Amino acid sequence: MTIFEFRKRSIRQQAAILYKHGVYIGKRSEDGKIMLLYQLNAYYVELFYNEYRKHIHWIGCFESTDLLDPYLENMNVADLVV
Amino acid sequence: MTKESPIKHLVVYADDDPDDLDLVEEAFSQYSVHVDLIKFQNGEEALDYLRNHLHDEIKPCLIILDINMPGMSGKEVLIRLRGMDRFLEIPVVMFTTSSSSKDIEFARRHKAGFITKPLDISQMELIAEKFIDHCAEDIRKKIRTEIK
Repeated sequence: MTIFEFRKRSIRQQAAILYKHGVYIGKRSEDGKIMLLYQLNAYYVELFYNEYRKHIHWIGCFESTDLLDPYLENMNVADLVV
Repeated sequence: MTKESPIKHLVVYADDDPDDLDLVEEAFSQYSVHVDLIKFQNGEEALDYLRNHLHDEIKPCLIILDINMPGMSGKEVLIRLRGMDRFLEIPVVMFTTSSSSKDIEFARRHKAGFITKPLDISQMELIAEKFIDHCAEDIRKKIRTEIK
């Protein structure tokens, strides 16, 4: 599914697609709100929650890796080294 | 005469994400009369508790493990548990952000269930039920009967 096709879906459909096919990348919080980032095919999808894992406020998607920075900052590289 | 308190079933859950620990605790709250949920923020502590702080006659009815935890991962905890006779038959569920077929296959090989962490309320509402589905049949029936 391309990013354009994904954008056309409802939030509920997008969440169902991500649940099945998304690859979890990370989690961050801002102003008390929690966001999750997934990779789907060749693009990234960000979920913005009103209430964590319950009520999704908004889902955004993008291709640029620049927007990954807030997630990468939270990652502990030592945990990735086996 | 004192009223006999019901025997509680023990569920052990390890996850490094405090928000997920809270959500699962909330999901189990409807069963709190009959289920004790014991939470750990890493794999080492959960394994230590299971190995050294439980009497032989007290066995958890379910162990829930996040896969990606710093230090000892849920996979490592599962391998170690399955290496001990007393935990060979205890139901374990991997509760993870992953939906990868490799992780699902890993869980299957080690006789564990696999649940991808919910993304919204429609999946979240069913999560305690999904966990209880992995308990032994007699315990499952007991927990569900008791809540009615």
